[in-house]
Amino acid sequence: MDTENPLVRKFEKELSAGSVALVLLSVIGRATEPLYGYQIAKRLETADPELAGGKQGAFYPVLRSLSAAGLLDSFVEPSVSGPPRKYYRITEQGRDVLQAWKASWQRMKTFVDSALEA
Amino acid sequence: MSRVAYSSINEYLNALRVALRDADPALLQDALYDAEEYLRAACAEQSERPEAEVLAEVIGQFGSPEELAAGYRETEATVAKALRAPAPKVPSSVLGKIFGVYVDPRTYASLFYMFLAFVTGIFYFTWAVTGSAMSVGFAILIFGVPFFLLFIGSVRLISLVEGRIIEVLLGERMPRRPVYSPQGNSTTQRIGQRILAMLKDPRTWSTLLYMAAMLPIGIVYFTAAIIGLALSFAMMAAPFHGHFFHLGHDTVIYVPWVLEGFSEWPMSLWLVPIGFLALTAVLHVARLVGRLHGKVAKHLLVRVAA
Repeated sequence: MDTENPLVRKFEKELSAGSVALVLLSVIGRATEPLYGYQIAKRLETADPELAGGKQGAFYPVLRSLSAAGLLDSFVEPSVSGPPRKYYRITEQGRDVLQAWKASWQRMKTFVDSALEA
Repeated sequence: MSRVAYSSINEYLNALRVALRDADPALLQDALYDAEEYLRAACAEQSERPEAEVLAEVIGQFGSPEELAAGYRETEATVAKALRAPAPKVPSSVLGKIFGVYVDPRTYASLFYMFLAFVTGIFYFTWAVTGSAMSVGFAILIFGVPFFLLFIGSVRLISLVEGRIIEVLLGERMPRRPVYSPQGNSTTQRIGQRILAMLKDPRTWSTLLYMAAMLPIGIVYFTAAIIGLALSFAMMAAPFHGHFFHLGHDTVIYVPWVLEGFSEWPMSLWLVPIGFLALTAVLHVARLVGRLHGKVAKHLLVRVAA
């Protein structure tokens, strides 16, 4: 991965900015229990050790905005290792939006793939 | 890109605080909270290794304070903007700049601080002078030293409290003092180092100076605010009071000599706009005082993370 080229970096940044909300929503949607930020970051790390989705710190503001938009539900629980943890779980509205986003993503993916292969 | 090594989570959080110093306070609080949750969780997972070592690794994945700050700023700008009330716009016209002071919440907060400074000033001065005098007096006695240390500790605590007040009312961001964690072998050694660091910190002594200075400053603030407000409102109300309540003649009871021509109704009505302008000036001064006081207090009270 050529991370030195600023044009490549910029493109990667824009790609991840557009898709990180979908990825987070889908990870939380699939989970059987509420997750907190660090757990979510670790789950994404196993799927993507190369950090193509950007730095893990960038997930947090997106989680907050998803929660503010009503797609995620959050609650706080104390922990032994540090400050109280903020747990997230998907809402009904979040599930509906996730379905719509998945459809958009599939369309976009097909479109890009066909353009690249042609 | 060069990576700065952070030896503790607090150091990282301070760097983040600096990176987001001009952002919305609530945003900063969110960012600090999120970063602390992540870093503490990561360090707790590998608690057998030293914190600095784990941090160096984890921050590579989490992002530097600057990267994190950029992330919060962008998300705030794009997504969260629609969900929150917009920040008050800074008016660009000259009139807007002059009268915008009326809708600026900072004006009223500064004015309130000027009143409050009288009360806190009396307390700070009394505390500082009594504590210093008793420390000197007790110096020849066996409990002189612990009394002195206790007093100095209280001064540092007060400096944090005053910092909170200033941050809330005057909007000057006051970084909390980084938690000092000396590396000592035994508890006595650690306490000794902490005391030494406390005594060597110039902020301890400048806080003492600030506390003593707050009495005269508080008196000046309080007096200026009261006189300024009273004079402005009195000028606006005087013509009506003089005219409708018929105090003796149709005159305003007293006007300063510069305004003598305005003492008779209806010429006295001119006092209303003059009072209004005076009030505007008072509010401007209050806002300016708040801003300056915040800056001075920051230098005297808190070590600013470089």
